[in-house]
Amino acid sequence: MSDLLIIGAGLSGLMAAYTAVKAGLRVNVVSKGLGSMHWSAGTVDLLGYSPAQPQTAVKRPLEQIPALIEANPHHPYALLSNEHLAQTLATFVALSKDLGVPYGGAANPGDNLLLPSPAGAARPTYLAPKGQLAGDLSRSEPMLIVGFTGMRDFYPELIAENLTKLGYPARAAFLPLKLITQRHDSNTVQLAQGLDNKEQRALLGAALRKLVRPGERIGLPAILGMDAHMTLLAELERETNSLVFEIPTLPPSVPGVRLFKSLRRYLQEQGVRLTAGIEVITANLTAPNGVPGAVQWVESATSARPLKLRADKYLLATGGILGGGFNSDMHGRVWETIFNLPLTMPQDRANWFEPGFLATQGHPVFNGGVTVNQHFQPVTENGQLLYGNLWAAGNLLAQSDAILERSTEGTAIATGVAAAQALSS
Amino acid sequence: MHKLKTEVLVIGGGATGTGVAWDAALRGFKVILVERRDLTHGTSGRYHGLLHSGGRYAVKDPHGAAECIAENKILRVTHAHCIEDTSGFFVVLPEDEGDFPDKFKAGCDAVGIPCTEIPVAEALRREPLLNPRISRVFEVPDGSSDSFLAAHATAQAARNAGAQILTYHEVTNLIMTGGDDNRRVAGAMVHNVVTGEEMEIHADITINAAGAWTGKLAAMAGIQITIMPSKGTMVAMNHRLVNTVVNRCKMPSDGDIIVPSHTVCVIGTTSINVPEPEPLRIEPWEVNKMLEEGDKMVPGFAQARVLRAWAGVRPLFQDTYTSGKGRDVTRKLALLDHQEREGVSGFLTITGGKWTTFRLMAEATVDDICRHLGTERPCTTATTPVPGAEQGNYWLGHRLHDIEEQHLQGQLVCECELVTRTMVENAARRNPLLTLDDLRRDVRLGKGPCQGGFCTYRAVGILHEMKNAGSWEVDMSDEAGSTAKWEVAYLQSPGHNLVSDADSHESSAEPANSADAFNPNLLLRDFLQERWKGVTPILWGRQLKQERLDELIYMSLMNVDHLPDKQLASPVTDFYHFDTTPTAEEVADV
Repeated sequence: MSDLLIIGAGLSGLMAAYTAVKAGLRVNVVSKGLGSMHWSAGTVDLLGYSPAQPQTAVKRPLEQIPALIEANPHHPYALLSNEHLAQTLATFVALSKDLGVPYGGAANPGDNLLLPSPAGAARPTYLAPKGQLAGDLSRSEPMLIVGFTGMRDFYPELIAENLTKLGYPARAAFLPLKLITQRHDSNTVQLAQGLDNKEQRALLGAALRKLVRPGERIGLPAILGMDAHMTLLAELERETNSLVFEIPTLPPSVPGVRLFKSLRRYLQEQGVRLTAGIEVITANLTAPNGVPGAVQWVESATSARPLKLRADKYLLATGGILGGGFNSDMHGRVWETIFNLPLTMPQDRANWFEPGFLATQGHPVFNGGVTVNQHFQPVTENGQLLYGNLWAAGNLLAQSDAILERSTEGTAIATGVAAAQALSS
Repeated sequence: MHKLKTEVLVIGGGATGTGVAWDAALRGFKVILVERRDLTHGTSGRYHGLLHSGGRYAVKDPHGAAECIAENKILRVTHAHCIEDTSGFFVVLPEDEGDFPDKFKAGCDAVGIPCTEIPVAEALRREPLLNPRISRVFEVPDGSSDSFLAAHATAQAARNAGAQILTYHEVTNLIMTGGDDNRRVAGAMVHNVVTGEEMEIHADITINAAGAWTGKLAAMAGIQITIMPSKGTMVAMNHRLVNTVVNRCKMPSDGDIIVPSHTVCVIGTTSINVPEPEPLRIEPWEVNKMLEEGDKMVPGFAQARVLRAWAGVRPLFQDTYTSGKGRDVTRKLALLDHQEREGVSGFLTITGGKWTTFRLMAEATVDDICRHLGTERPCTTATTPVPGAEQGNYWLGHRLHDIEEQHLQGQLVCECELVTRTMVENAARRNPLLTLDDLRRDVRLGKGPCQGGFCTYRAVGILHEMKNAGSWEVDMSDEAGSTAKWEVAYLQSPGHNLVSDADSHESSAEPANSADAFNPNLLLRDFLQERWKGVTPILWGRQLKQERLDELIYMSLMNVDHLPDKQLASPVTDFYHFDTTPTAEEVADV
């Protein structure tokens, strides 16, 4: 029996676990899979593009958020004060140092970073792991983007050409893939693990030294070691006498995996129980008329009989359509899969999409979600509390399309921390 | 202006057009084929891929059925590598009982379609997901065909016999000579869609093989042909729920065929008269109907993950057509001699028919060409295998086998369809390629569950690297494709890519002057939109989740909505950019 059962092991669930365990709660985290960090760039996107100006990257997100909230009073960021939001981010930055994967922001505090994307666009993001910081496009050093011949997930010439077109000088170079792996087939995680090896690291450093020109900084695919990442980064910078940075790649994302693994290890050391492979499929609820009901227990799918999981309090952090927290069908229904919480998106397929894939206003189906009160507790359409011991956080919250706004991790950290604070107090 | 002269000008690069070019070239004619887009852009690339045994027409149209079984036997030899030998079942559901099954068997026997009634238990053993309530099962030699590969192979056979195949060459007008009483088509004015260049092609005889666009082309000669465009919608399921073609044993109707096709299965079709061959919207009721009908043959079908939906247009021809429904119009080939019909010489139209009979259509057409040009030359296509046929039939594990045997895992660009980097490079180098959609037709890139989520970026990166290295220049003159070393097998088989190809890197001196079409950012955006077009009609459940992952990749990670070159638009991709999302009225109709 735990004090708190968190369903979902994405960034919101794990930040909530961190906050709750620090507040003295006994915390149990269950998840269907390994959480959503494996997909992401490993950065903390706070607000990259505001719906009012979808073409222009937000320069100072914390200062822009009040205007965002004014235009959309039910945005998840409206659940926190600006100071509180900044505090949750500071909490994350402090934690990241303890985890050994330190995060930082732009040289000018409060600015968004602009980091090279694997297509060569400029990604506005607020915080990034140290390994990505030297890629900030506000820096003036020209870039040498180094790829590996035949590596299917990284195209340095495309990146360099687009960066140059955008006004950031860059050139491309290749090293043989054989330099870093002898395998027939490697994904980015396997390549990163290979570079934990000391001899392999030395070979890469020596090869880069021959390529780089004085004054250049070096961009590489985000495969620079898994456990030995920080060591490798320091070695490469010393060896080449240049700044070295990673550019995130297609999933699986090594920076995301590094954050997940270190956060999981840290939480386990704090006594949090984390179990993957447990898909919660239903809940036992009491729902008396007129007054809030309660969650008695939740059940997960197992091969034999349903497993009952009980706690005093429950935090739902299963994400939205992508995370698997919501499902949908051909009749236009979208539903929350465990508690069948009311969702705000149109229950009509005709109103789900815009005609263009990259529509600047986003697709309405991805904007909807769970509505919560100021204590992060799910409520009905009329604002009535549903269950006295249920909280919700993360990207399942209604009224923002986090992928469109580039606010995914910001939302996860802010609401994950704040929801856990609310339920702990 | 560039001028070309030829004996035979074929207009249309589908199964029929490539077939005519092949046959005419084999008979020694000088041939040019022009196609306004890529090969199989039209109906040939948008059908369910059934190699008919003829069973479907055995009761209603015995003549058409006889043509099918004859051609079925021929194509299994000439185009062996384009065919998977799946066999086919005609199953009798409880609601289909009556006298039709016996008529069906008699019809098959009458025209020589090998048809065996097999025990239901045996059918269920071979296809465990079939509805156990079926009462009878007939087995016929249906197959599954790869119409993309077949058109490439046929075109290459034509090239090897001297024909010139010009894709992205659109006919803007026909060249007319003579007075009112002896009008003659003397060739066509052709617009190179990529370079903007205009060209005059003079021909002794011009063949209208424009499929759904047949009527529009004929109108350029002042000839009216009533082609009834009949839209057929197909739905691809994410799994190969059956390994045998499954047909309902009843009069042909909506959603009564399931064809296993590579890693998926396709159910088809609807039949709806439409005013224009493009753009084609897929309405929610059509998808609904396909899933409902599929569920009758394979219970649970409607709950399985849906991959994509698309529509093709049957170019149905009926001279006396008044108000018939699409399926009642004959599927027989129609060869129109416009000299006899309208007094316009030098011009033949070949239309109607179906993929399975494309070779026969070509044979009939070229026989007529011979007559018009006053020569007698026998047809040899029935006994001449096209390049690649020596590989034999393809099978489901074909690509996986090559990749495992030769350790090509590290080369995979598209994990869904097992496309390797070398396959992409070969297709790009040897085949005029303007959009990633062309590459999709060539090597099946982006056809799998993620619908381009991972491979779009990779393919763009590879093409961009090739372009920088000078090893990819789009050459619309067809010289790239005419090299004798080009093997169609490259498109299909990862294993063929190990063939040493050292001197294939020479680039043409003159790069095409419309650089816009080769811009990597434009390629990326256009293909994402192209894939979106086909998923919006079926986007729910797991496929909706998948689409959100693609958004995460292309917006959150790549930021492709803020790449440079936003102002660029391609001349060849307008048709991706129409609204394919369901409307309120359509949803209400379901």
